[in-house]
Amino acid sequence: MTGLEIARALEHTPLAVAIAKSNWLFPLLETLHVLAFTVVVGSVAMLDVRLLGLGNMRRSITELTRSVLPWTWSAFVVAAICGAMLFISKASTYYVNIPFRIKFACLVLAAANMLIFHWGARGTLAWDIGPPPVRARIAGAISLALWIAIVSSGRWIGFTT
Amino acid sequence: MLERFCDWLVRTDLSQLFSSSDWFVPGVQTIHILAISVVVTLLAMLNFRLLRITSSGPTLHSLAIGYIPLVWISLLVLFATGTLLTITEPARELLNNVFRVKMLLVAILIALTATLRLTLRRDPAYWTVSARRRFLGRALALTILILCVGIVAAGRFIAYA
Repeated sequence: MTGLEIARALEHTPLAVAIAKSNWLFPLLETLHVLAFTVVVGSVAMLDVRLLGLGNMRRSITELTRSVLPWTWSAFVVAAICGAMLFISKASTYYVNIPFRIKFACLVLAAANMLIFHWGARGTLAWDIGPPPVRARIAGAISLALWIAIVSSGRWIGFTT
Repeated sequence: MLERFCDWLVRTDLSQLFSSSDWFVPGVQTIHILAISVVVTLLAMLNFRLLRITSSGPTLHSLAIGYIPLVWISLLVLFATGTLLTITEPARELLNNVFRVKMLLVAILIALTATLRLTLRRDPAYWTVSARRRFLGRALALTILILCVGIVAAGRFIAYA
């Protein structure tokens, strides 16, 4: 079964048909998706700005991460669930849509960047309350650029479907 | 009267220039969404603290000192990008009732956020000194959070109205 065939099959599930046929379900899910995504992007940006050494410098990385990451993950779960429901309603259209693919690729890269950075920074607390080292600044810059690309490509989807 | 203004605005060179570009509207909308992310995330964190849902990290007063100036800057970005989008498609915004509701909610949000900032500037413990103040603080925080949700929802529903 090809990716496009799977997408077509998803499109014909009862939930996908219900979302596609409803006048209010798609805009409602889209609103929840955007709302949750704004919190994901805003909270990630707070950490990235700290990693870049451009703000939040009075707060330690550990304390900032502890207070911000629960927001990021909770909002991400909501955004992902709503995003998945939006996707299945027009799965074959989104599957071949280039901005959608760019958005997804950037999401994967942002996750990989976060994992690599956290794995590399394990136990490295020497700069927790001070200026961040170059590798932290690079990770922050990459993350910020990827999240801007995610928002941008997400917005572009609406103009190309 | 407003229809005539929209007709005039859409025929201006500036409006024609903006609307002739494929990337202008998605690009400006991307900046608009990024600024909304900053406003929604910071106000959510601040007002969850006022609601006492979160309690760790800096005090409400120091969060307000750090966050509210960034909210004002982001609102200026939103005003600038919103103006550009309105110049590009004046009738889509100015003749749309959902857009009018959104602007009303934004005005109330600004007034309530300014109230929060001014009271905390006068007295950092303003919202904790009595049971009545604590109740009012929670009501204020809840109203601001509902306004944020309403503004994002209205922004999304402009496209459907």
